[in-house]
Amino acid sequence: MAGRGAKSLSDRAVFAAIALWLVSVATGFGLLWKYKSTPGAPPLALETRWPAASRIERDPQHATLLMFVHPRCPCTRASVAELSRLMGRLSGQLAARVVFVRPQGVEDDWERGELWARAASIPGAAAVLDKGGAEAERFDARTSGQVLLYDPAGRLVFSGGITPSRGHEGDSFGQRRIVSLIETGSADRADSPVFGCALRASLQSANKEER
Amino acid sequence: MSATAWSAQDAVAAIVRRAEERFEAHRLQVWKSTDRMFAWLMLGQWVFAIVIALTFSPYGWEGKQRTVHMHVWSALLLGGLISAAPVSLALLRPGWVVTRHVIAASQMLWSALLIHLTGGRIETHFHVFGSLGFLAAYRDWPLLLTATVAVAADHLVRGLVWPESVYGIVNPEWWRFLEHAFWVVFSVSILARLCRMSLKDMRTAAERGAELEALSEGEWRRSSVLERPETAAS
Repeated sequence: MAGRGAKSLSDRAVFAAIALWLVSVATGFGLLWKYKSTPGAPPLALETRWPAASRIERDPQHATLLMFVHPRCPCTRASVAELSRLMGRLSGQLAARVVFVRPQGVEDDWERGELWARAASIPGAAAVLDKGGAEAERFDARTSGQVLLYDPAGRLVFSGGITPSRGHEGDSFGQRRIVSLIETGSADRADSPVFGCALRASLQSANKEER
Repeated sequence: MSATAWSAQDAVAAIVRRAEERFEAHRLQVWKSTDRMFAWLMLGQWVFAIVIALTFSPYGWEGKQRTVHMHVWSALLLGGLISAAPVSLALLRPGWVVTRHVIAASQMLWSALLIHLTGGRIETHFHVFGSLGFLAAYRDWPLLLTATVAVAADHLVRGLVWPESVYGIVNPEWWRFLEHAFWVVFSVSILARLCRMSLKDMRTAAERGAELEALSEGEWRRSSVLERPETAAS
């Protein structure tokens, strides 16, 4: 009855095409999920105390949270959004420093953009510039969105990410552990996967270009 | 007498038949025009997704080196793929039942892709409920079931392998799936009722139209009979 004029394709061929389409779409979503759920490189040589050589200001009265950020990584938008929620929840109990890693060989103000403005507007957080990535190397941060939590004595108590997947907002193991550490002093684990653009690889390529 | 009764019964049967024809023609017209609307919507969503990806996540970065972000490829290729089947069917087989069901499933797939592209923003989840409302334009309630099954399958699979991407928390309670399902079923149940009411209205309109046709045909016949002698006389 319907579509009588367009019966040139047989029903069987149409159903086969639809089945193929479904498999292709499922594969596409599978690849997207894989990309979004694959964490970046974790720190390999993390010091258990705040590095003495660091120029980043640590709060001796409260726990200090560091988040290392690639200034132009779109996936890190979710990390900054989650940091904003975290700071709202732990208001007054935590000091945050969002460290923007500027690679060598880029123009001044390269890091100034939407992420910087967002990070700087979070109550209790400060945006900090890391020229050439020296601080990122010092703290062994390799992936944008890497969070390090230090207690008021400067001991590292947590290392990980605070998004559930790459560029995806929502509750995560990392956030829950940080909240638990701040509110109760303990958590089931002291780490979580980090999702975002690579920081360390960028430093290597910048150095290669310099040589 | 019996001949009169027979002809009256015949006339009623003819009106019922005609009403059914009018109803089916109207329904087919609704299906075809809604197929066309969704074909445009699918293309519009594709363009929208590409614009979203290019605006908010154009590049993936490694230091100062950049590459085209996965979101751009997803919007371009996966988005194109999602739209390909419904648009093709809407053009080649408008009004076909399979076309509508593929469109219903595709619309839900679009919700899933847009949620990914916007980084899981809670606001993008409204696309699911907006889409259910659009699908009600077909006035064919089983389509809402197809859409619901597509949403449920997406939630089930992701809820098992990646719960935080669906529920926003990492270890949801076992009944969390039911909470999400409840709001979809809530929406679908009312929309399905509206579809049935709309169909009833269409059927009533078709019956009245058929009766009016029969009446005007009867009038025309009577006037033809009355006018015939005058015509003959002139």
